[in-house]
Amino acid sequence: MADPKKARAPFAPWDRRELPGAFTVEDSARRVGNYKWIEMKLFEVLGGWVATVPELDVKMRLGTHCYHHAWHSELWHKRLPELREMNPERLTMPANDELVAFVDAMTEPEAPELTIEKLVGVYRVLIPHKIAAYTFHLNNTSTITDAPTIRSLKFALQDEFEDWRDGEMLIQSLIDADEEIDRAAAHQAKLEKLMLAAGGIAGPGSIGSAYADQEVHA
Amino acid sequence: MRKIFPADLLARDERFVRLTTEQRFMDPRSPGSRSNPRGALKLTPARPDAPDAARALMHGIFVGEVQALEGAGRTCWDFETGDGGDETPFALKLDMARQCWDEARHCEISVKLSDWMGTELGEFSESTFLYEAACNPDPVLRLTGVNRALEGLAIDVFNTMKEFGDVAGDPVLEFCEDWMLADEVTHVKMGSDWLRRLTEKDPERRERALEFQRVVDKLFSLGGFRGEDDDSPIRLARRFRELAGFDKEEMDDLAEISREAKDDADRMRERLVAQASADS
Repeated sequence: MADPKKARAPFAPWDRRELPGAFTVEDSARRVGNYKWIEMKLFEVLGGWVATVPELDVKMRLGTHCYHHAWHSELWHKRLPELREMNPERLTMPANDELVAFVDAMTEPEAPELTIEKLVGVYRVLIPHKIAAYTFHLNNTSTITDAPTIRSLKFALQDEFEDWRDGEMLIQSLIDADEEIDRAAAHQAKLEKLMLAAGGIAGPGSIGSAYADQEVHA
Repeated sequence: MRKIFPADLLARDERFVRLTTEQRFMDPRSPGSRSNPRGALKLTPARPDAPDAARALMHGIFVGEVQALEGAGRTCWDFETGDGGDETPFALKLDMARQCWDEARHCEISVKLSDWMGTELGEFSESTFLYEAACNPDPVLRLTGVNRALEGLAIDVFNTMKEFGDVAGDPVLEFCEDWMLADEVTHVKMGSDWLRRLTEKDPERRERALEFQRVVDKLFSLGGFRGEDDDSPIRLARRFRELAGFDKEEMDDLAEISREAKDDADRMRERLVAQASADS
């Protein structure tokens, strides 16, 4: 056995974590509040839709996914006080009014023949945008100072990827006519425009900026 | 999407056949019906019709799980989040979302068990009175009606079904029922805990909620279907109910409600038999 008194580096050679990150405590708290709000809206509507979809497999998946997003909202709720936000409700808010308009449109379908629209809104629009915003946050925050947020982002992302795949496969299995492709595409386009206006689930800067002349902002 | 979704609009595929409570009572195959006045019998492997009775009960469990999933989901959606009287606290919504996942798993388990027992989905009818209890506009009454009364009944049913699986030598049935029983104890405990928390400073609301629970309990005692007698088709599972937050007095009350329901049903059966004799 090696000499236990021999000095070792505090970071092992394979541990490449760094201190700098793109987000301040306030930036992170604001984004986490936006995440909690959108996760709440998502789990609430998934729960509400269960009674309205006749397809048994979809009904059961919505019930399962409802909990995933509720759990994410709980993770973000618990993270807020750790980011100096002692009143979590204060930051539990939509990024902007445009995002509220998006959620209103996404949650509008109710009739039993609108399962495609319900699933498209969640699995082809909202969840891909959540994956994008969470990934941007994960890749830009300080890997040392913001490690608790990173841990929650990773848990959430694992669910998001799996739920996205479930939802996309359900959509593909439901679409069996050209008109249904048109319906899905039209609804997706309508919601994408609303999401574009919102700038993403955390507002403009949800995934930073890809243009060379602009700084990356949270 | 609207708030409060009516039971008659619950979405189903073409296999499902829905009956009203009245139609169910008039169905000659239903225990306690005009043509079957003997009432419900205890489910034992010795009964000549045990396989069909067990399949019917399992199908009833399946549609009950679907409606429990729908009811828990609606509680996530129907109320604004908050601590006001007509609102639902965030933590309660989280519990309801968790219950959605549990009920979705129970649907999956029930589908697989039904298949295992040789049952087609839709082979037996569905009535929506479980979901109807989940439509109460007061979240506390919804909790007592669903989480304490109906999920409490589920404890009794799963315990009975688990014992049937044991006696009938069906380890798959016994195994699955035991897992579902564990979840139901959790759901009833959620109901007990939230009832206490939400009505801590509002004894009048608590009494209204408990009264609603008694009404649902009586409805679901179904003419003595659930009780403490040796021949009760569904036995009151006192040990598991205690784990879920029921005290002795509440369980004694429930046993009394079940006895009353059985007496009512016996009187009705006597009337029906007398009427049938007079008619013939």
